[in-house]
Amino acid sequence: MKGLLLKDWYMTRKYCRSYLFMAAIFIAMSFLVDGNLFFVLYPCLLCGMIPVNLLAYDERSHWVQYSETLPYTKAQLVTSKYLIGLFTQCAMLLMSGAAYAVKVGRGGNFQVKEFMMLLLMLFMASAVAPSISLPFIFKLGVEKGRIGYLVMVGIICALAVLGIGIFNKENLSQDILSAETLPILPICCLVIIGLYILSWRLSIAFYEKREVS
Amino acid sequence: MDAMRMDEMRPDALKIENLTKHFSGFTLDNLNLTLPSGCIMGLIGENGAGKSTTIKLILNMLHKDSGSITILGRDNQEDLRLTKEDIGVVMDEVGIPECLNAKQVAKVMKHTFRNWKDDEYARLLAKLSIPDNKQFKDFSRGMKMKLGIAIAMSHDSKLLLLDEATSGLDPVVRDEVVEMFLDFTREENHSILISSHIVSDLEKLCDYVAFLHQGKLLLCEEKDRLLEEYCLLHCTQEELQEIPQEAVRYKKISAYGVEAMALRDALPAGLHTSPISIEELFVFMVKEAGKK
Repeated sequence: MKGLLLKDWYMTRKYCRSYLFMAAIFIAMSFLVDGNLFFVLYPCLLCGMIPVNLLAYDERSHWVQYSETLPYTKAQLVTSKYLIGLFTQCAMLLMSGAAYAVKVGRGGNFQVKEFMMLLLMLFMASAVAPSISLPFIFKLGVEKGRIGYLVMVGIICALAVLGIGIFNKENLSQDILSAETLPILPICCLVIIGLYILSWRLSIAFYEKREVS
Repeated sequence: MDAMRMDEMRPDALKIENLTKHFSGFTLDNLNLTLPSGCIMGLIGENGAGKSTTIKLILNMLHKDSGSITILGRDNQEDLRLTKEDIGVVMDEVGIPECLNAKQVAKVMKHTFRNWKDDEYARLLAKLSIPDNKQFKDFSRGMKMKLGIAIAMSHDSKLLLLDEATSGLDPVVRDEVVEMFLDFTREENHSILISSHIVSDLEKLCDYVAFLHQGKLLLCEEKDRLLEEYCLLHCTQEELQEIPQEAVRYKKISAYGVEAMALRDALPAGLHTSPISIEELFVFMVKEAGKK
């Protein structure tokens, strides 16, 4: 599988430079805006889409077909995308986390517990998109899979809006690191890890059944 | 004697039995093919005849409805990953990521194939004049094909599966590539299954030819035997009446006379015949199949 990871690494370097640029802008913005986690959260959300983009390029270049002729199992082909996703998510998480630490450290408000919780939240933000989208894409291909993903995101957003209404939280991003929500984050994180693993297993099962023509 | 025994022991490079795959509007119907080890087989068929489908079924990219496929003595449903170490494949779309150059491709393949040979790859790049630092997206179609061929031949493969691998190449390079394929099969356990529209290439290359038409195998035969067995008959309509019907497989009647595909041995002596080419044979057989 080293060959697959190396190929994806070359592609990430080439095609995902813009993500790094966007992340830098958003992180810089986070220094200018107080009390809003959006600017550290968004680069992580964005980088969750890297595996999907790589798959789109794979389809365009017919690598999807060619890879089936190489000595890899379908499970390896799927796993490599999850691994490269995990790698880029961790890199982005460290960048965003470091920026946040510098920002709050300068104000003398740095708290390890809060920082760890932020990292967990950033991880969740970056893992949720590929967890939901990749099984659709491995089952249906990039074009149809994206539609499935958008439908799913629509449902999640509707549920979130409903949840905010029920819990009467108008500014969730400001309240998210409050004392009341902190204990819930590790549980949510475990749920996301479970979702990521489930997504990986589902993608393998879907891809093994899919015919690549 | 030992060499003979070795030949008998060596499994066929490819054995396809009763292979069937149904799509809406097309069925690959009960295909039977055997490619003996050390031989080259040409898969000839019009667009949509089922050539690419056959190659994809061999590689399990498509799931067969019924039948069996054995590659180098191993069933293609059992640990195909291991079998693929011994197979080099070139598809009509080569499939290398567009941002990679030939050097990066080598690094990827080195971690892909156990028997990857850097020296051989470098030799083939030089022989085929492939630049090693140009991105794949900037390659011409011919250049892309050449890179695909170089990869397929750089990991000690025993079987090459080539789907329209010579299309897009100019005649000079095509000739060079055909020579490379012939060189490849000098090793006794090296075999090639090649599909192509360019029948002249296959005529130069192949020991066996298989004609596919609308998902059905019209024939699978040794090329030399076919060329010996059949001939092109040129005669008048009156002469045609005198010839036994079983000798003539297909005929074209025009104002200038009759041109027919005929069985050489069944023809009476003294008629004007000429050697038939594989392309002519294929066209005649497809037309004959169309009549049925």
